[in-house]
Amino acid sequence: MSRRVPEAEGRVVQERRALTLALPRRVHREIVFRIPIRFAWIVLLSMFPGSAMGGPEVRPPDVDRGRHVFFATGGCTCHSNYPEEGDAAPPLAGGRGLKTPFGVFYSTNITPDRETGIGDWSDADFIRAMREGLSPDGQHYFPVFPYPSFSGLSDRDLLDLRAYLGSLRAIRRENRPPDAPFPFSWRPTLIAWKWLNFEPLRFPDAPDRSEAWIRGRYLVNAAAHCGECHTPRTLTGGLDRSRWLAGSREGPEGELAPNITPDRKTGIGRWSIADLVWYLEMGIKPDGDDTQGLMAEVIEHGYSHLPKRDLEAIAIYLKSLPAIEHDLRRD
Amino acid sequence: MRSPFPVARRFRFSSRFPARCLRVGFVSILALGFAGTLQADDSMGGHGGSGEAHIQYRQAVMSGIGANMGAIASILKNGLSMPGHVAIHATMIADSAQLVAPAFKKKVVEGPTDAKAEIWADWEDFRKDIAKMEEAARNLAKAASGKDPAAVGPAVKALGKSCGGCHEEFRKPKEESYKNAAH
Repeated sequence: MSRRVPEAEGRVVQERRALTLALPRRVHREIVFRIPIRFAWIVLLSMFPGSAMGGPEVRPPDVDRGRHVFFATGGCTCHSNYPEEGDAAPPLAGGRGLKTPFGVFYSTNITPDRETGIGDWSDADFIRAMREGLSPDGQHYFPVFPYPSFSGLSDRDLLDLRAYLGSLRAIRRENRPPDAPFPFSWRPTLIAWKWLNFEPLRFPDAPDRSEAWIRGRYLVNAAAHCGECHTPRTLTGGLDRSRWLAGSREGPEGELAPNITPDRKTGIGRWSIADLVWYLEMGIKPDGDDTQGLMAEVIEHGYSHLPKRDLEAIAIYLKSLPAIEHDLRRD
Repeated sequence: MRSPFPVARRFRFSSRFPARCLRVGFVSILALGFAGTLQADDSMGGHGGSGEAHIQYRQAVMSGIGANMGAIASILKNGLSMPGHVAIHATMIADSAQLVAPAFKKKVVEGPTDAKAEIWADWEDFRKDIAKMEEAARNLAKAASGKDPAAVGPAVKALGKSCGGCHEEFRKPKEESYKNAAH
């Protein structure tokens, strides 16, 4: 709406005035002042999470949920020295020697001890260690610690896991340096290793897959990190992605890790979903035999505590993978 | 002329070794040989059928136990309706326990076997683990015949644990058996 205003020298200027002035005064005030002010409040408050009109709530870490994540990773069994110290091994205090073709690497203390464990780490330190394989002081971790797989864990799972680990008993035990020849014991070598072999895990969208399959994909590849043992390694110690989960003669501790692709001759093709679920719960194979070694431990301390629907998800995902024929006895 | 080469001289056996020396020597060699075979628990298996036959028998005994375990698992994980079968299989496992120690009495570690030498080095622990298996199997049989179906799961788990407890100490992992020479 415009009004003609006479100017000093007689020129007439069109002055723009609010259209709403044509409306009753009350309505004009509502539109021009009150509604914009309320809108500004909403925008302002939504920037503060946790308030009544807040945005996505950042919830505090959940120790119970963290325990579930802990079981999904196999109970972090590599961090307890059961082989040498038996059941009396201080849990998660490290010192377990993991034999690899590059030497023996000792797991670290992940109890909340402030001097020898991870008690004085920040959340960011923990996430960086798990996702990037970097210590709080910037040193690279040897990839016997499976951070290439853990890089696929969600923020929420990582923080809940950290909260659970933080709730456990703090044990004092110094970390041991590796028993490996140069250059495999020298951390800067890992810059080259990471450049060659490390790519953070990302899960592409899979709209045509069931929720169970998606959950199974996450568990198998990130949390349970099956690929780290069950996939053959290249010369540089990276994972041979063309033979994913097709088994390896040189798993950690020098043990053979079988082919767990659904190949009928050399893999788990003859196993049903029920067989797989039972195996992960009990450690008993379809022929009635038990399993030994590190796998028996990660079942006992980890996977057997998962809810059945998670074990089914793992089974569904494994059975969906391409079957790869890989006879480890003849490799 | 004296020859530079050694010359054969006539050697009379009977004048060098009187009859009684021969008799004593012969009998002592026999005795030593016999004493050797009496150390039955320390055989060198692999030569002759004896060692392999023992491996074969003890593997048959253990496979029988495993087959019953697989049968129990099959019923439970697939929800098969086989009333009374779990208890029977569990009883069969428990009854097999008495076969294990005699089957392993003879020490044979060479050949197509996953048995570790610790069996004979820690024989008493081995016997104890067998007893644990029998106890766990009898408990399962009782639970499976009882009124409370929820008791079966933990009993099965305990039986599975008794398999692992013995195998961890006394058997090489099955996955490693490709390394056995005569596989």
